[in-house]
Amino acid sequence: MVQALIDTIWLVPCYALIGAISGLLWSPGVIRRTGPRPAGYINLLMTFLAFVHSLVTLQAIWNQPSQEITFTWLSAAGLDLNFPLEISVINVAAIALVTGLNLLAQIYAIGYMEMDWGWARFYALLGLFEAGMCALALCNSLFFSYVILEILTLGTYLLVGLWFSQPLVVTGARDAFLTKRVGDLIMLMPVIALYPLAGSWNFNDLAEWAKTADLDPTLAALLGLGLIAGPMGKCAQFPLHLWLDEAMEGPLPSTILRNSVVVATGAWVLIKLQPVLALSPIVSLALISIGGVTAVGASLIAIAQIDIKRALSYSVSTYMGLVFIAVGTQQDDAALLLILTHAIAMALLVMSVGGIIWNNITQDLTQLGGLWSRRPISGLAFLVGTLGLIAFPPLGSFWALLKLANGLWATQPWLVGLLLVVNGLTAFSLTRVFGLIFGGEPKSMTVRSPEAFWPLTFPMIVLAAFTLHLPLVLQSLSLLPSWATLNKDMALLLIWSSIFGCSLGGAIYLNKMWQKPVQLPWKPLQDLLAYDFYTAKIYRVSIVFSVALVSRFISAFDRYLVDGFVNFVGVASLFGGQSLKYSTSGQSQAYAMTIVMGIIVLGMLLYWRFFHAASPLFVALAQ
Amino acid sequence: MHLELQYFLLLAAALFCIGIYGLITSRNAVRVLMSIELLLNSVNLNLMAFSNFLDPQEIKGQVFSVFVITVAAAEAAVGLAIVLSIYRNRETVDMEQFNLLKW
Repeated sequence: MVQALIDTIWLVPCYALIGAISGLLWSPGVIRRTGPRPAGYINLLMTFLAFVHSLVTLQAIWNQPSQEITFTWLSAAGLDLNFPLEISVINVAAIALVTGLNLLAQIYAIGYMEMDWGWARFYALLGLFEAGMCALALCNSLFFSYVILEILTLGTYLLVGLWFSQPLVVTGARDAFLTKRVGDLIMLMPVIALYPLAGSWNFNDLAEWAKTADLDPTLAALLGLGLIAGPMGKCAQFPLHLWLDEAMEGPLPSTILRNSVVVATGAWVLIKLQPVLALSPIVSLALISIGGVTAVGASLIAIAQIDIKRALSYSVSTYMGLVFIAVGTQQDDAALLLILTHAIAMALLVMSVGGIIWNNITQDLTQLGGLWSRRPISGLAFLVGTLGLIAFPPLGSFWALLKLANGLWATQPWLVGLLLVVNGLTAFSLTRVFGLIFGGEPKSMTVRSPEAFWPLTFPMIVLAAFTLHLPLVLQSLSLLPSWATLNKDMALLLIWSSIFGCSLGGAIYLNKMWQKPVQLPWKPLQDLLAYDFYTAKIYRVSIVFSVALVSRFISAFDRYLVDGFVNFVGVASLFGGQSLKYSTSGQSQAYAMTIVMGIIVLGMLLYWRFFHAASPLFVALAQ
Repeated sequence: MHLELQYFLLLAAALFCIGIYGLITSRNAVRVLMSIELLLNSVNLNLMAFSNFLDPQEIKGQVFSVFVITVAAAEAAVGLAIVLSIYRNRETVDMEQFNLLKW
């Protein structure tokens, strides 16, 4: 029975797909009478099935060695495309996390999408995402991971573009697709280039190969840099981060998933590729610098946002940057732990904020305030999410960040400083969001703000409880170091940075004496951060401008030169006909003249040799 | 000076060229017919010369020129009739006025 469950773990992605496809029946154009709700319920049921299946399997596979199932996709001459599934504790745990978060987000969406008719499309896309993420978690082949990443890119396009009658949604979906697509496409190059080198796309084989690989350093660097481009776009790292900001135009329940799990798909592949990436020190340096710049930059930007969803989305970039640093310093375990704790805490934060948006309409932080006494559940959920995200013992991210910091201290101590700064900045920005939403006086938008109804609060409470229990769960599985063996100095540093950030945020934003909205003494800096370092403008004047220029040039080249040449041939023959017809002058004498000229010319040509031979004679005669 | 075949041929060629020149440049249609007569006469001259120098026994060239003269007379008659009928319609014999059949 148990073994049967393990053997059929590949059904988990299929459950979600079945739910997605059957839910489509309730599209407004198919079943016209009874409304879209069953689509959501079917997906919920299927997700629940998948969650139970993965949980039971997780329990069954605990302490067992990892197993592998392989499907053959296609065999061509010299190429066998296998679809290997790895069934290990980590993979199944990832599936459980994905399906669990999906379950909660789908319950949440039942409440949030109450006044919406697009359930079929919405839940179908959520199902597609669930299936894609579960398949990615199981998939042990770089090639098929890439395939799934691409399908998810298309899914992001469709999901962000759910409410396509809004112009900002359309541009946001466009940017989300293109930005991620560029990263994926650059990633495809090394994926293809890796096959002749390693002879396999299986992650285990790649790791084995990387142990003994003797690559040209330039080749290794190029390979690695290409491979990180995909996750760079997926994880919304600088400079491919604008899409996540614009993807906040999509429906909120999908944002829960995007911010917690979907962005982690890139990080997942990155972690699996870590042995290959470690081949080149340049790639490690690139990972660390991309991650570091993103972590600091995005946490600064998050502080300057006035849109709640965007204030949270930049924190996602920040934490994915930390994952990049972890992978760059070869700390896979810390990266995985950070993904887990970040996913849960971030999902909780977005859920809490979604409840606020749901019945206060505005997302503008400057129009919110004074909700603590009336929205205790949301407020507590936000607090728990905040504490779960920053380094606050004993909650989850503390352990992940501590593990990361310990690893960094041994190799690159200055990164610990960066980690502390990022942690402090995130603590500050989350406290700021908390202070602006829940603290202060009620504004006109928040005067009447009841707590959201049960489908919104139930998953929030469950997730908050799970956030609180996470350290206990991890402790009981002996995945965390015990208190005795703790590196106390490092832990204290992290705690101090959290406390410093939180108390500074509290002092500014929970303090009625402080003038709000807070103005920095130097306005351009505030604008620079608020407008995301003007990334949209930078895109527009660099890449978009040059691509538009080149395409306009090529279009003009095609329209004028290529088309023009062919048209010129036609026009020239027309012109030739039109102008040469005047040779038919109507004068029979002219025709006779033409005949005579023809005879003379022909004769000259035929007897040219004799004229030539006789030329000295003519010369002699002339003298 | 001894008469040779070449001289006759050269004279006939010169006559032919003059005829061609007249054929192409004349504006009067009758003069064009006259030029054609020049051409035919130069041909006759050739035929007579060849017959005299190369075929004095059977003198086939002379027979040919009799035919040419005959046909030339007929052709001139038809030509003049055509000119006359054009003149009746157009009231001119200027060749440059007869350019209706152009492009």
